[in-house]
Amino acid sequence: MGGQAGFGPVPAGEDGGVPFAADWEAHVYALAKMLRRRGVVNDDELRDAIERLPPQQYLAASYYERWLGALELLVAEKGLI
Amino acid sequence: MSYQPGSRVRVRAGDPDHHTRVPRYVRGHTGEVVAVLGHWTLPDDSARGITPPRTEACYAVRFSAAELWGSGDHTVTVDLWESYLDRP
Repeated sequence: MGGQAGFGPVPAGEDGGVPFAADWEAHVYALAKMLRRRGVVNDDELRDAIERLPPQQYLAASYYERWLGALELLVAEKGLI
Repeated sequence: MSYQPGSRVRVRAGDPDHHTRVPRYVRGHTGEVVAVLGHWTLPDDSARGITPPRTEACYAVRFSAAELWGSGDHTVTVDLWESYLDRP
């Protein structure tokens, strides 16, 4: 993770396998892509927001939990909710 | 664009107070350009809502694991924008 040691291997599925561990992850992915397509967020804002999550939240979260946390941060900052 | 495949480059060692695509583990290290990837918008700008973002050449830069971590026989290749790099 971030080139740092001590976090173990990165889990990676087989090529062609299901890319989501649960339905809610697919929903988060779709939400992010819809917000991007509508010009609400771009990929770099999403990466930046993931990096700005509180460290305790970031370290405890799964991959798509980080995406969701970043989307929540961005739509709040942009005044959309 | 300033570099070609085979160019030696050193990654700038700064730690900006905004988003950047330079991983900390390559900062200050020297690698070799292995491909020129065309021109792309600078993530440091687009992450901050700067419009229009700067557009720069982007390069695939290969580092030896030994250069980055002091040991290992493999290499790591990172996509890096023009302004992240200097000549060594």
